[in-house]
Amino acid sequence: MAKPAHVTSAIEGQPVSAVVWRHREELSPNDFNPNKVAAPEMKLLITSILEDGWTQPIVILPDMTIVDGFHRYTVSGYPELEERFGGWVPTVIVDADPLHHRMSTIRHNRARGTHGVVPMADIVRFLSDQGADKEEIMKRLSMEDEEVDRLLDRAGMPSGGGKDNFGHAWRPKAN
Amino acid sequence: MPKVHKKELVEANVYDAALERVRDCYRRFDKVVVSFSGGKDSTVVLNLALQVAREEGRLPLDVYFWDEEAIHPETIDYVRRVAEMEEVRFKWLCTPIVHRNACSRKEPYWTCWDPEKKDLWCRPMPPEGVITFPGFEPGKGVPELAHKVYGPEHGTVADLRGLRADESLRRYRAVAMRLKDNWIGGARDGYSYPCSPIYDWTTADVWTAPRMFGWDYNRAYDLMAMAGMSPHDQRVCPPYGEEPLKGLWIYAQCWPDLWEKMIARVPGAATAGRYAKTELYGWGKMEKPPPGMTWKQWTFSQLDLYPKEYRTAIAASIKSLLARHRQLTGRPVQMEKADPLTGISWRYLAMLVNRGDLKARRAGSMTAQATNARKGADMSEFEDGEAGTRY
Repeated sequence: MAKPAHVTSAIEGQPVSAVVWRHREELSPNDFNPNKVAAPEMKLLITSILEDGWTQPIVILPDMTIVDGFHRYTVSGYPELEERFGGWVPTVIVDADPLHHRMSTIRHNRARGTHGVVPMADIVRFLSDQGADKEEIMKRLSMEDEEVDRLLDRAGMPSGGGKDNFGHAWRPKAN
Repeated sequence: MPKVHKKELVEANVYDAALERVRDCYRRFDKVVVSFSGGKDSTVVLNLALQVAREEGRLPLDVYFWDEEAIHPETIDYVRRVAEMEEVRFKWLCTPIVHRNACSRKEPYWTCWDPEKKDLWCRPMPPEGVITFPGFEPGKGVPELAHKVYGPEHGTVADLRGLRADESLRRYRAVAMRLKDNWIGGARDGYSYPCSPIYDWTTADVWTAPRMFGWDYNRAYDLMAMAGMSPHDQRVCPPYGEEPLKGLWIYAQCWPDLWEKMIARVPGAATAGRYAKTELYGWGKMEKPPPGMTWKQWTFSQLDLYPKEYRTAIAASIKSLLARHRQLTGRPVQMEKADPLTGISWRYLAMLVNRGDLKARRAGSMTAQATNARKGADMSEFEDGEAGTRY
């Protein structure tokens, strides 16, 4: 399909049209990043880069300060990734003043959705039906035992549980 | 000061004891009605009442339901299944009722089914919905209106509810103040008695019953369980209140379509969904006031953020706490340290103002605060036990 000329030039001007591989040592983290990634998700990030490859560049300023992708930058120095990529990471440059820089960081992190429980359960069920066993799902999606169990176990009584017998009744005690 | 009694176990199990209490209601009151929320506790009350009504030949059972507009599709489905039961005479109330909106300082209350906000309603009004009843007054909340749904023309009314002591200290106190008829509250307008026949049931007991007897229940619980919410926190209640606020995240995960309507419905919902469990909403222990301010200054600057009518109410409750402090001790109020006698500090008052907790519901009694201060306990630990008021 042919692109109109103005679209072609707009696309050429996009940061992703100029991805450059740089060594992680050239980059420096910003000092305000509010985004925290918990340990299981850090592991998931490593798995993702190993299995899916680098699919998204790290966003940096012309002075090499990171706007988005601090955690990808971090794991690129971990042995699993360093061994394969030698600390080289894909980057794109955006130009931003300090105000825009901070806004850009937040937008990159927050412009995303929440995974619905039901569709997640459907996916885990699909993986399981396709022959992925629980250990594999846990390992490759960085999920706990608990999460896989709950997602797989969609039917039946809430695990809140119920017992086989009722407890004792009580009344206020005179004293 | 009335005494809060301890528990004394009795021979019967909770199921038999509760059935006996419901039978007692049928013997003592002219009319028995069930206040039904669609939640797990009212499922128990409904089924117990049905069983006794059958025994006594008093069917159909009168059941009423406050439809709070922002409710889960599974709750609607379950309520509809109950409403269609032959043994039930159902009132589905879509009346404009005022509820707490703890998400927002600017609009700390919201009105479900507000006729002026029809374009923002979370869902269309159900065909069964009744928008008024004799005795209804606009601008009121459930506590002021509940007894008017079945008026004095019915004689004395036993209004059965699913309140349970293990939900919160406040609820425990409500059923542990009197030795006789501890589960029957004082008459409202002289004829309507709130009754809590399952006050001694634990969360586990509440799930044992449907499992044992195969009762139908609200499938919203299945979703909440799947999302990893603990059974004790799984609630079916107005979502924007003080206590449910910390569970707001569940809506985005389990009911994304409803959530989208909900964040447009009341101001602050999107913010609370993101930050309810942080100190922006007074969650946990606040470490320090904002830079350049003392706790005392912060108390007053936060007060200024409320619209006038609420500001006055909050200021009045702060003033009465301070007056009480002065009455009891000559010590000045400290910034951080809770007073050993009155439990007050400016940090604590700042937290109250931050929450806009007009009834100091999550704050606990001042006596308990002071006890905690003496024990050196963390205040936030205490607040959790205090939580759990729905309206």
